[in-house]
Amino acid sequence: MPASGPSWPPRSVLGGWSTMADHRRTIALTTVLAALVLVSTVAAPMASARPAHEIPVRDVSDANLAEPTADGWEEVPASDVPLSSAPSSVPNADDTTVETVDVQAVRTDQRLYVRLEWQDATRDMNANSTREFADAVAVQFPANTSSRPPIAMGGPDNRVNVWYWSGATGTQELLAGGAGSTTPFQNPAVEANATHQGTGGNATWTVVYSRSLEAPSENRTDLRTDGDLDVSFAVWNGSNGERSGQKAVSEWHYYPFGGGPEGPPYETLLWTVAGIAIVAVIGVTSFGIYRTRGAE
Amino acid sequence: MSTDQQDDQGDEDTLVNVADGVDHQVAMVMDLNKCIGCQTCTIACKNLWTEDGGSEYMYWNNVETKPGEGYPRGWEDSGGGWESEEHSDRSPGEIPDEEDYGRAWEFNHEEIMYEGSDEPLRPRDGAEWGPNWDEDQGAGEYPNSYYFYLPRICNHCTHPSCVEACPRSALYKRQEDGIVLVDQDRCRGYRYCVEGCPYKKVYYNTVSKKSEKCIFCYPRIEGEGPDGETFAPACAEECPPQLRLVGFLDDEEGPIHKLVNEYEVALPLHPEFRTQPNVYYIPPFAPGQHTEDGETVDIDRIPRQYLRNLFGDGVDEALDTIDAHRQRVRQGGESELMELLQDKNPAKQYRLEVFDDE
Ligand code: SF4
Ligand code: SF4
Repeated sequence: MPASGPSWPPRSVLGGWSTMADHRRTIALTTVLAALVLVSTVAAPMASARPAHEIPVRDVSDANLAEPTADGWEEVPASDVPLSSAPSSVPNADDTTVETVDVQAVRTDQRLYVRLEWQDATRDMNANSTREFADAVAVQFPANTSSRPPIAMGGPDNRVNVWYWSGATGTQELLAGGAGSTTPFQNPAVEANATHQGTGGNATWTVVYSRSLEAPSENRTDLRTDGDLDVSFAVWNGSNGERSGQKAVSEWHYYPFGGGPEGPPYETLLWTVAGIAIVAVIGVTSFGIYRTRGAE
Repeated sequence: MSTDQQDDQGDEDTLVNVADGVDHQVAMVMDLNKCIGCQTCTIACKNLWTEDGGSEYMYWNNVETKPGEGYPRGWEDSGGGWESEEHSDRSPGEIPDEEDYGRAWEFNHEEIMYEGSDEPLRPRDGAEWGPNWDEDQGAGEYPNSYYFYLPRICNHCTHPSCVEACPRSALYKRQEDGIVLVDQDRCRGYRYCVEGCPYKKVYYNTVSKKSEKCIFCYPRIEGEGPDGETFAPACAEECPPQLRLVGFLDDEEGPIHKLVNEYEVALPLHPEFRTQPNVYYIPPFAPGQHTEDGETVDIDRIPRQYLRNLFGDGVDEALDTIDAHRQRVRQGGESELMELLQDKNPAKQYRLEVFDDE
C-alpha cells in the first residue's frame, strides 16, 4: 500500500475539490436512484395487483353466470377472503368452522353477479327437526352507498342490505339497522343458485347471487355506483349449530366500481405520475450532463 | 327488557313483586294432591293450539309422572335459566332432540282395520320413548313405592330467560298481564329460547320454522270467545277435579295471592333456575310408609329431599302449615286455608276480571 496518504475516505466526500470523473459518477448515481424510485412506485401496485380489501370485479357487457358451474366463472379472478367468528352475545359465538370464502364478481351492463365458494363437508339443507340448522351464506352492502355502516348488521341511521341464502329457507333479502333488527323484504329482488360438490374435507358450497344494478326499491343498494362499493360476507355451518350471531364473518371489503374495463382511476393516475417522473428525470439528467460538459 | 327488578315494586299499591314494566301478573296454582293424571288438560290444550303441521310433538301443557324423566326426557338437566339472582348471566342450555320429546308413532291401524290382520294394535317400529313412557313408574320399593303427577305449562316467569335468550327480541313479556309470547313476525327460528328456558317450555315448529309456546290462552282471558265471555285457560277449565286456580298474583283479594304470599303453601317448581315462575304448586301429600305387615308408620313415603329438590326448601314449611290447618279442621276448628284449597266456587277459582276497569 502506497504511503502517499489515506485512500479512504474518498476526497470527494471530504469535499474541497472534485474531478470530472466524480461528476460523471454523481450523474450516474442520480439516474440509477431515480430509476429505482420510479420502478418501485410503478411496479409495487402492479406486483401485489390490488390493495388488501379490494375484491376485483370483471366488467363485461353481457354474461350468463347465474349458475355456480357456468363456464364463464373460470376466467374471473377470485379473492380469498378470510373469515373469523363474529363478535356476538349469543352462546358459542366463537365456535365457527369456516375460515375463508372465495369471492368472484362480475358486473354486466344490467346485473351484478357474486359467486362465493367455501369448504363445508356436510350439506345441511334442512331445519326440519328441533336440533337441525341449515348452512347459509350472506353478502352485506350498505343500503345507502354514501357511507360505510357498522360491520355488525349496520346501525339505525346507517342500514345494510343483505343478500341471504340458506339451505332451509332459500333466498331472502334483508334490511338491518343493527344486530337483532334484521327484517326480510316481502319479495327478494336478488336471485341465488347454490350447489354442494365433492365429498369429505374437499366438499364445497358454491352460491351465486345476482341482482339488477338498479335498486328495485328504497332501502336496497344502488349498484350503479361509480365509487368503491363496500361489501362483506358471512357463512354459517348448520351442522355446527351456527345461526344468528354465531357465524364466520369478513371485514368490510370493497368492489372497485370506479373504473371501467381499463381498470380503476388510481392506476391511471399512477401511470401518469410515473410518466411525468420519467420525463423529468431524463430531462434533469440530460441537463446535468450537458451543463457538466459545457463547464469543462 | 329489563328484568332486574327485585325490591322496587312495579305497582305502588301492592307488595307483590311483578316484573319491571308489567302492570299485573297472571298466575296459576295447581294442587298436586288432586291430579289424577287423566291428561284432559293436555288434550284440551292440544286440540286448541297444537294440531297443525310441525307442532305434532308439542305439548304446551303436559302431565308427567314424578319421579320420572319428564317431557322432554331429562328436561330438568337440560340447562337454561340464570346464574345468579342478579339475572345478568344466563346459564347455557341445550335443545332437546326429537327422541327426547318423543316422535309421533305410526300404528298398524291400516293392517288391522282394512287388511284383516289379527296382530294386536301397536306402534309400527321405533317406539322406544315418548311422553309418559315412564308413566306411573315412580320410585320406591313395594310396599312403599310412590309417584305423583306433575302438570306443567309455561310459567310466564317474572325473569323469563327465554326472553333474554332471543337476540331478536322476538319473545316478550306483555305489559298488561305478564304473559310471555313469541312474536311470529320477528322469530327467525334460532331456538335460543328453546335452549334458554330451563323448563323446556318453548318449542320449535318444524314446519313454520319458528318457535311457539303456551300463550296462557290469552284470547280466552281477553273474552275473545263466541259470546265475548272471559274464560280461564282451557287446561284449567277442562280439568275434571278442577285443581287449578287462575288469576293475578297481585290481586291481593284472590286465592292465589293468599296461597302464595300469605300462607306460603303454593310453591314454584325448581326455584333454583331463578326465572321466578308464576305457576305455583301445592306440594303432594302421601300416606306414611307401610311396614311388611301393612302397618302405617310415621315415615314420609315421598322422600322429603325429593320434594325439596323440586320445590325448594319452602316445601317443609308448606307441608307443615297445611298439616296444621288440616288438624285444626279435623278437630272442629275453622281454616281459611282449607276452604281455599277446597273451594269449588268458580267465581273465586278464576279471577280474571278484577283489573278490567283500569
Ligand atoms: S317457563 Fe320458560 S318459556 Fe315460560 S316464561 Fe319461563 S323461561 Fe320463558
Ligand atoms: S286435567 Fe287436571 S287432573 Fe287431569 S291431568 Fe290435567 S291437571 Fe291433572
